[in-house]
Amino acid sequence: MNYRSPIPARTRTRTTDHVLELRGISKRFGAVRALSEVDLDVYGGEVVAIVGDNGAGKSTLVKILSGVHPQDSGTIKFEGTAVSIPTPTAARDLGIETVYQDLSLCDNLDVVSNLWLGRELRTGGRLDEVEMEQRSWMLLRELSARIPSVRVPVAALSGGQRQTVAIARSLIGNPRVVILDEPTAALGVAQTAEVLNLIERLRERGLGVILISHNIADVLAVADRVVVLRLGRNGGEFRVADTTSEMIIAAITGASDLAARRGPTPLRSA
Amino acid sequence: MAVSSGNPTPGSQTSLREANRARIVASLKRHGHLTQVELAGSTGLSPATVSNIVKELAASGVLNTAVTSRSGRRATEVTLARQLGLVAGLHFSSRHLRVAISDVGRTIVVENHVPLALDHRHDRELDRAALLLSDMLESVNASFDDLLAVGMAVPVPIDSRNGMVATPGLLRGWENVPIAESLRTRIEVPVFVDNEANLGGLAEVRFGAARGADVAAYIEVGHSISAGLLIDGALFRGVTGKAGQIGHVTIDENGPICRCGGRGCLDTLASGPALLELFRDDPGMQRMSDLLVMAEAGDASARRVIADAGRHIGTAAASLCNLFDPQLLVLGGELSQAGETLLAPLRHALERSALAGRDGVPEVVQGELGDRAELLGCLALAIENVGVGTDVGTTYRP
Repeated sequence: MNYRSPIPARTRTRTTDHVLELRGISKRFGAVRALSEVDLDVYGGEVVAIVGDNGAGKSTLVKILSGVHPQDSGTIKFEGTAVSIPTPTAARDLGIETVYQDLSLCDNLDVVSNLWLGRELRTGGRLDEVEMEQRSWMLLRELSARIPSVRVPVAALSGGQRQTVAIARSLIGNPRVVILDEPTAALGVAQTAEVLNLIERLRERGLGVILISHNIADVLAVADRVVVLRLGRNGGEFRVADTTSEMIIAAITGASDLAARRGPTPLRSA
Repeated sequence: MAVSSGNPTPGSQTSLREANRARIVASLKRHGHLTQVELAGSTGLSPATVSNIVKELAASGVLNTAVTSRSGRRATEVTLARQLGLVAGLHFSSRHLRVAISDVGRTIVVENHVPLALDHRHDRELDRAALLLSDMLESVNASFDDLLAVGMAVPVPIDSRNGMVATPGLLRGWENVPIAESLRTRIEVPVFVDNEANLGGLAEVRFGAARGADVAAYIEVGHSISAGLLIDGALFRGVTGKAGQIGHVTIDENGPICRCGGRGCLDTLASGPALLELFRDDPGMQRMSDLLVMAEAGDASARRVIADAGRHIGTAAASLCNLFDPQLLVLGGELSQAGETLLAPLRHALERSALAGRDGVPEVVQGELGDRAELLGCLALAIENVGVGTDVGTTYRP
């Protein structure tokens, strides 16, 4: 569980490694069909954005991946082997970390305590504060994070810095996939830039990043692929290199249900 | 700057000290201002070392210190010392915005970077740039009143007569707007705009690989390909700013259709998107950086694709050489980081098609300023345009 230095980007092998493969995922809450037959692929070193209207099933999909509630049907393969994710701990042990919109940071604790909360390093029964602080700096420096001090309470940090701390915390366990839920919501321009740069760093580390966002401009700036969910189904999948924000919005609203089929760009449409 | 003077023996006490000084300055550029304790944390140096170096650099005028308080304790706040007046550089490339603020002595005090969506638009991006500038100015305890000029680079040719994009189709979201004027009304600071290859070339000829060259061309190979033409250290832009757009030299009459409306332009064969398109089915190959990493790791197809791009660029560069006759070609932009993988086939194609003189064809070298060349060019453009009447315009720090 301890933070080790990751594979340096330079020696990254061809990232055809298929980290996550979801097929036919369905989920019902009573009479409400939240997800039906949803497919999703995530590769290492890739940023996949999931976009969709409110109630499209984005959060449900994230909750299934992070072990909050299991799917009713469908299969999840993690690095090629079929897995079940019954609890959040199971997701974390597999290597799937989630950063929720509320960040779940303890405002009264400093950056180091927040990063290592629940998995503190110990030497002979005592907390190894020195080691934890050194590793925190190492991690934050690798992420080129703009955090002036790791010994200030998190409450004193800006929104972007808090987001940075939350994302850095998700890396302590050396995950393969990081899920970011609305990381740029309610952030100013400079802070958004900070978070977008951070997402690029995660990508360079060879992690699979799942980005949930309503901001299409941010999505198009950092994502490699955009998966559209609409009314709990796959609404189309686009490579960012050959798509426009208009096409994605059309897929979100359903305006392109017919047009997308003959359009050249969706890799797969519903 | 004082931190990088001399050339001490590697591994010696002096070189270690110099490296530590450079670390402190780099950290301040990222954060704007920091206390000594924060500096120790962010550089990994011991507080005593930081304190000594800060004292030394403050005495030599590189840093400013002020007494402040952090969490109720007395602390020393450190900032980079700056001369009166600041300038800003904004480099809009196809996928990135780089921003730097420096003093008129070219010491960069704060720097930032934002990834951009592929087809960005002028209104949203200029709004964002204005907000970002005001945030960055605030981080160095300054305001727009301290900003004397802004230099800006865009990835398209700019018609200097009206300040608009010179060719339609290349950057759709920025057409038919007087770009400099548009940003000036937002921040009320004079703004100067030019093509990114022009400004990259300006930086390389002033401070980089083309220093001292009488006639040189800077070829930027990234998301698109264009060149900046330099005569006696000054840019040659042509009548409408389109001089040096070698990305739109025809290589294959029957080739793919280009953004500019032509067919088989160099851009359609050797620009970033064209190269990545060849790896369409590979999910691990989405960005130029992926291609560069693969090539460096020895992947045969990645190296071949870069070499082929070099060959095409060499053919176009040969025409450029026959028309312009430079003594030096400097390669910049993201793909130039592939080094000899790109340059060797480029030289070969150049030798085949360019007129050879007594000393062969022009020398081809990689830029020295890397991906910051254009940004440094923006700052140079801004500094150049700081009003001659004001006394700060003439100050210079070596």
